[in-house]
Amino acid sequence: MINKNKIAIVLASVCVLLSMAITIQIKTIKRTSIGEAQNFSQDNLKDEVLRWKEKYEIETRNLTNMEKELAKIREEGAKNDTSSSAKEAEITLNNNLLGLTDLEGKGIELTIKDDPNVTKENIGIFDDISEHIVHEQDLRAIVNELKNAGAEAISINDQRITTNTSINCIGNVIKIDDEKISSPFVIKAIGFPERMESALSRAGGYLYLMENYGGIVVSIKKSDNVKIPKYTGVISSKYIK
Amino acid sequence: MIVIAIIVGCIIGALIGVNMPTISYTYSGYLAIAIIAALDSVFGGITSILKKNFDMKIFLSGFFVNAILAMALTYLGQKLNLDIYLAALVVFVWRMFDNLGAIRRYYVEKITTRKIIAKAEATIKKANEEK
Repeated sequence: MINKNKIAIVLASVCVLLSMAITIQIKTIKRTSIGEAQNFSQDNLKDEVLRWKEKYEIETRNLTNMEKELAKIREEGAKNDTSSSAKEAEITLNNNLLGLTDLEGKGIELTIKDDPNVTKENIGIFDDISEHIVHEQDLRAIVNELKNAGAEAISINDQRITTNTSINCIGNVIKIDDEKISSPFVIKAIGFPERMESALSRAGGYLYLMENYGGIVVSIKKSDNVKIPKYTGVISSKYIK
Repeated sequence: MIVIAIIVGCIIGALIGVNMPTISYTYSGYLAIAIIAALDSVFGGITSILKKNFDMKIFLSGFFVNAILAMALTYLGQKLNLDIYLAALVVFVWRMFDNLGAIRRYYVEKITTRKIIAKAEATIKKANEEK
């Protein structure tokens, strides 16, 4: 009888392991699968993409840690030397302007959303649905307006706008550099808050037109602590001599 | 007793699994083949219990060694660009069906014998009453 109890306990613990593994596996597959693949080669491609994505994430994390370490070492090296500490300050400033560092500071947060009251079903005959959604040229105009108002760092949906950033339309989403984003758009800018706000919200300005003729939902919030993430891509220069 | 143990074990395992974090997608292929290996071991264990030649050491070592070997084969297959895990999969599923057949036969025979015995007893009873 004792032997039978022992067998039962061992089998039960093995079953615990087994069903635990099965549930974890199901959860993992559910989280990562983008949808049913059509055939074997597509399945393989999907697999490859997911694997590369994961690798990329791990490497970016490593890179971030390394950069932090580098900054620490530089700071330490420049501690006792006035000329090198001046250089250090210059490097920091340039990195900030290039978009290589996470920044925070005074600024504004602007949220724009597609018109929620207009759908394909209830739109009038003479109305155009594309008037009621946010386009890439709208984002470009807003970024331009912000830069004109003296913004020092800008991000859209946590994508840093650098000097080389492009904003493009690809179908129903907007591509900023290589990242796809969609409505609602949260635009953060560090700079003089009052000036940026008045520049954006002036009557007859771009946001005014979007709000009153397109029904776009716009809200501007001034903040003392705007956080802007760093640029996640690679800055390269092949042709500059 | 053993059936209850298996059911309770599965439920507890599922509850733990739901609250565990997911694993990296790269390793999900290995976990899948390990699951099949473990499933095969459990079926083998049940069969041996029914045949009354269950050995704890063989069962436990089979459970772990099979799973590890299957994962190692999957890894080797990835390095060689050959789907070796398919071979392991075929063997495991084959044995699962074998074991399932043994379990099925055991119960079918048990029920049949029980019926035959009942019939025989009824006949004996009838004969006794006639005497």
